[in-house]
Amino acid sequence: MISTKIIKGIAFCAAIILIINCSTTSKSVRVDVEADPFEKLSDYHFFTGIQNNLQPNAGVLPYDLITPLFTDYAEKSRFVWMPDGTSAAYNSKEVVDFPEGAVLIKNFYYNHDAADLSKGRRIIETRLLMKRPDKWDAISYVWNDEQTEAFLEVAGDVKKVEWKDKLGTERSVNYVVPNKNQCKGCHEYKGELMPIGPKVRNLNYTFAYEDGAKNQLDKWAEVGYLTEYDNSIEHPKVAKWDDASSGSLHDRAMSYLEINCGHCHRKEGPGSVSGLFLMIEEDNPLNMGICKTPVSAGKGSGGNTYDIVPGNPDKSILVYRMETNDPGARMPEVGRSVMHEEGVALIREWITAMEGGCQKSMDEK
Amino acid sequence: MKRIALMLMVVIAFSACNNEKTTKVTTDNIEKELQTKLINAKDGDIIEIPEGRFSFTRSLSLNDVPNVTIKGAGIDKTFLSFKDQIDGAEGIRIKADGITVEGFTIEDSKGDAIKIQDSKNVVIRAINATWTEGAKETNGAYGLYPVNCENVLMENCEASYSSDAGIYIGQSRNVLMRNNLAHHNVAGIEIENCRMVEAYDNIAENNTGGFLIFDMPGLPQANGYSVKVHNNIVRDNNFKNFSPEGGMVNIIPPGTGMLVVAHNDVEIYSNTIEGYKTLGLAIVTFNFTQRPFKTENGFSPYYSKLNIYDNTFNRKGGVAGVPDITKEFGKMVNGMFPAQTQDILIDGIFNPDLEQANGNYVGDNRVCIRNNGDDIRFVNLNADGAKDLGDIKKSFDRDMEKFDCTIPSIDTEITKENLVLNKR
Repeated sequence: MISTKIIKGIAFCAAIILIINCSTTSKSVRVDVEADPFEKLSDYHFFTGIQNNLQPNAGVLPYDLITPLFTDYAEKSRFVWMPDGTSAAYNSKEVVDFPEGAVLIKNFYYNHDAADLSKGRRIIETRLLMKRPDKWDAISYVWNDEQTEAFLEVAGDVKKVEWKDKLGTERSVNYVVPNKNQCKGCHEYKGELMPIGPKVRNLNYTFAYEDGAKNQLDKWAEVGYLTEYDNSIEHPKVAKWDDASSGSLHDRAMSYLEINCGHCHRKEGPGSVSGLFLMIEEDNPLNMGICKTPVSAGKGSGGNTYDIVPGNPDKSILVYRMETNDPGARMPEVGRSVMHEEGVALIREWITAMEGGCQKSMDEK
Repeated sequence: MKRIALMLMVVIAFSACNNEKTTKVTTDNIEKELQTKLINAKDGDIIEIPEGRFSFTRSLSLNDVPNVTIKGAGIDKTFLSFKDQIDGAEGIRIKADGITVEGFTIEDSKGDAIKIQDSKNVVIRAINATWTEGAKETNGAYGLYPVNCENVLMENCEASYSSDAGIYIGQSRNVLMRNNLAHHNVAGIEIENCRMVEAYDNIAENNTGGFLIFDMPGLPQANGYSVKVHNNIVRDNNFKNFSPEGGMVNIIPPGTGMLVVAHNDVEIYSNTIEGYKTLGLAIVTFNFTQRPFKTENGFSPYYSKLNIYDNTFNRKGGVAGVPDITKEFGKMVNGMFPAQTQDILIDGIFNPDLEQANGNYVGDNRVCIRNNGDDIRFVNLNADGAKDLGDIKKSFDRDMEKFDCTIPSIDTEITKENLVLNKR
């Protein structure tokens, strides 16, 4: 009897301790836009409990993009957080206008076996885009091998990753964690660091939240993260690149090119000097590469004359640069070291379906 | 406008002196240390790289920190090798105002050796960009590659074995290039879509094409102007064209001294151009390349306002021979004049919207070619409407008279402004 009481007592104490512990780990999100980045990801309290479960804390809202940027087959789990009482303003064309203090949290991971998720995953890095008072800041945390914590890393890193894909093929990649400067290689708009993904047209679809499925824009508005949004009207929406029911071949190809290339290849981005523009709005065939000769592609041409030759993906530089793994020629420059087979297949199909051709130039005859 | 620029430069020159900190990178784990220093750099920092040869697996980059100097122990003392590079499209990538790079060699980058983009007040001094396995199609495209920059000084640099242009400046404004050496590249020195450039005392030798002045379509900055090229030595540019197909430089026939494409407002004088087997100086419209283009953005495919005088042409030179027949352009020259190198060639295609008289434009838009030696093989293709070699064989003439004129020299004020940079 006595021993049972003691055990009960110990259990009770343990429960109390657990509760106290839990209450300490469920502290609210901690973001100081004026301060240097924390050394550890867990210091922000974006996730509760065991960190690698990526269980969001209060106010940390998961989101997804209709068409995402390809990053060496890494899976991505995205979250957004904004300070109490603040919200992003609707923007029909560009990234929604985030308030100061907003943080986008993006976790890059690989499932050990894509056909059997119960085998777990390995998280490689967690990138934060934090809106400081004057500008966005990119901060990267690299997960330790024990998967218990992620640590601040400014100079980047290279991690060998192995996984089994859905077909059971063993795959591996030297995953490159970009350094802080490389982040801006993509995340640049008019010379300033900017998020790429969270545009209305790329958020405008249904997400399976824990409390039920809902359109992401409606959800953001509901939790107070989106203002100047009128849910009674239609909003722009990109086609889902790998879902033929979501749009025409052209729309899906442009959706893919915009998210993977258009952040840089636009008039306001670092790729502007090439004169190749791959935003969805682009309607000038030459600007989008059709029969456009490259300027400074060098060996990036792969021996071809035009960015896109209608009907002929094998002669199109665009396809060559998406397929090659040569660091000096591949596109995108950052975040891809293996070919995105499914993405390339889409672009090949799109170019094959185009009619016409390009005139032969002096050096081709 | 120019005064404002000058004042700005002086302000920058002084502000750069404040709070600067010199840090020396050590040689253990130099890759991570150097990149971290570049990321954490503050305004005015000087980052020194010691003597030695160091290997890098990823691009080095600097972003947005103003007035940083990256300095090696010397062009022949500090070597950054990118032979084992697995990541990044350039050896070094910079976007930062007031950047100075100085005193080191960049070897075997997978893409361009050093790219500096969207930056103001740029100094590239005593930098060598090279590929150590010689001429290979897989070498990086550009050696020194500033693009869309303003106030650029490139001096005492060297570039070799790039598969496009060794020493390049593109879409930039207010540029001074001097005392540079470009050899064994496809294009030695190239000025493309730039405004206000002066290039002198450079040597371009043993490239496919020695010195190129291009205006290309489809770019944010179209229509370069005020390009002044003088007192350069352009010799023995007969090297094989090892560029991949598709690039613009792939059309260049080995044995080309200078090539002007579609450019307006260029002054070329007191240069020595020798030892070319195909062409000493070729002046062509973009139409001549038979590549498609659009005139949006104000791009003009025509050349105009060219002032070419007092140059020394010597087609014999050291290793010259018969014209190239590996490229269409060379085949054309050889087809018209078998085994006869030409000194100056102009395609003779004129803009119908610009006023013309007697086979030339009028006033300051004229193309003037004067006093370039007595024994000049000059050819005007009159290629407008010509469809093939047969047509050109009928249309060409050798009449230099209509180009015997002079137009005002380009104002050199820009150079003086740029000299302020030199004090850094």
